[in-house]
Amino acid sequence: MIEVVDPGRYTTIQDRGRPGFERFGIPPGGVADWFAAAVANRLVGNAADASLIECTATGPSLRFERDATIAITGGDCPEAGLPGWRTEQVDAGSIVRFGPLTSGLRSYIAIRGGIDVPVVLGSRSLCAAGAFGGGFGRPLQAGDRLGVGGLLESPVLEETWPGSHRLPTRGPWEIHVIAGPHRDAFEPSALHRLTATACRVTPALDRVGVRLDTPGLHLDAAEVLTTPVTAGAIQVTPSGGLIALLADHPTTGGYPVIATVTTADLPLLAQARPGDTVRFREATLAEASRAHRRLIGWLDLDA
Amino acid sequence: MWRFAPAGDRALLVTIGIAIDPALLGQVLALDRSLRERPPRGILGTAPAYASLLCRFDPTVTDAAQLEADLRPLEGNLDAAIPTGPVVDVPTRYDGPDLGEVAGATGLTPEGVIEAHAGREYLVYCIGFAPGFTYCGRLADELVVPRRSSPRLRVPAGSVAIAAHQTGIYAVASPGGWNLIGHTNLSLFDAGATPPVRFKPGDRIRFVPDR
Repeated sequence: MIEVVDPGRYTTIQDRGRPGFERFGIPPGGVADWFAAAVANRLVGNAADASLIECTATGPSLRFERDATIAITGGDCPEAGLPGWRTEQVDAGSIVRFGPLTSGLRSYIAIRGGIDVPVVLGSRSLCAAGAFGGGFGRPLQAGDRLGVGGLLESPVLEETWPGSHRLPTRGPWEIHVIAGPHRDAFEPSALHRLTATACRVTPALDRVGVRLDTPGLHLDAAEVLTTPVTAGAIQVTPSGGLIALLADHPTTGGYPVIATVTTADLPLLAQARPGDTVRFREATLAEASRAHRRLIGWLDLDA
Repeated sequence: MWRFAPAGDRALLVTIGIAIDPALLGQVLALDRSLRERPPRGILGTAPAYASLLCRFDPTVTDAAQLEADLRPLEGNLDAAIPTGPVVDVPTRYDGPDLGEVAGATGLTPEGVIEAHAGREYLVYCIGFAPGFTYCGRLADELVVPRRSSPRLRVPAGSVAIAAHQTGIYAVASPGGWNLIGHTNLSLFDAGATPPVRFKPGDRIRFVPDR
């Protein structure tokens, strides 16, 4: 078992989420930075759908009751005393204090075998809105005990994950978007004006979404009839601000969506910190598909 | 005319119309049924709302253009009748914190608000926003009030609310900007149940004052 000594800022159990339950109002959920999480599982030889620990801004302190093989990816947490992006052994009885992240916003801690919590509605991920999943129906708290499962797929990777096959964890960010789906709710030059603006990440962010300011730009947005929305959707609020949705987004929304972050660049949005600058860049579907395939190719890496 | 727009690189949004209208909902549900019974290659799942349907797909198998080509021939060729079921009673205590304000804004007495709200059948248009949140319409014109200017951080589960031409029920505690006029003890969401929600689009409900 692994005991949570200190939960850190906001630490949850996540896997690839539960897409397919949106028709019940249930967000897809799952890891915010899908790429860093996939690398962490890959390093320790876990199945791609194994659950791991996602921490935010300040990591947890964990006491390992048994020897464990772990990997840390995503934002750097140097106080852990364990190098990231590689497999490390942790001895029984030791406490690892992951501490504050010095880059990025989210880190992933994969444990060989995965975190063993019950599958609820197809996933082990916490659904905070519905207070279920993630083992406890809430973020981790001090005293929680986590079992290790048997979701193994392959041997551990012995090498450090190459720097050439990681995504940046520091801004300023360049984030690619596909126009729409509500492009018609805006005047024709709106997306061009948005991509010409240096947007700023505000402190109002969580796993639901990221609020961004658009200094010098006011986009007029007509309200639209409530439609389903997706992770990466960039909503324009009546005040002209932006909300870029993440994994725990409401399943429907009434704010028009001017553009949608590509799958390949969702990890960047998930790692952006308050105060960071974001420049959105319009991409074609073909470009988005190529970028996604490139990351999938990296994960197949035979290190 | 249905309109198709990519919603990112892994989903296609089909817009059937832009109004709260049973005929449009009928088309949404018919398209949803058709895609679940005979899924085009590469489609992973669908999510309906008032007058639109989101189709998620596997980008390594299909793409937005191919999916649009698969769906276009269905327009006008589906049975868009909404299956009729019994009208479900939702016992409601009309004691919401915004009842007085709604009465003031509409020029009705609180009793008048209750009478207007409980006095008709509603169609469930969408389960969305938060787990189990039940969007219903249409509200009587005399009850139309805007959303609150500042949303509440926490609306209790079971709250019965109104905004514009919609009425809805919060199934779980969540933030919310609608006007709270009442409360029901009916359980609308249970993660352990199959399905996890009480209502689905196309259902008919009636609010019954619980005095």
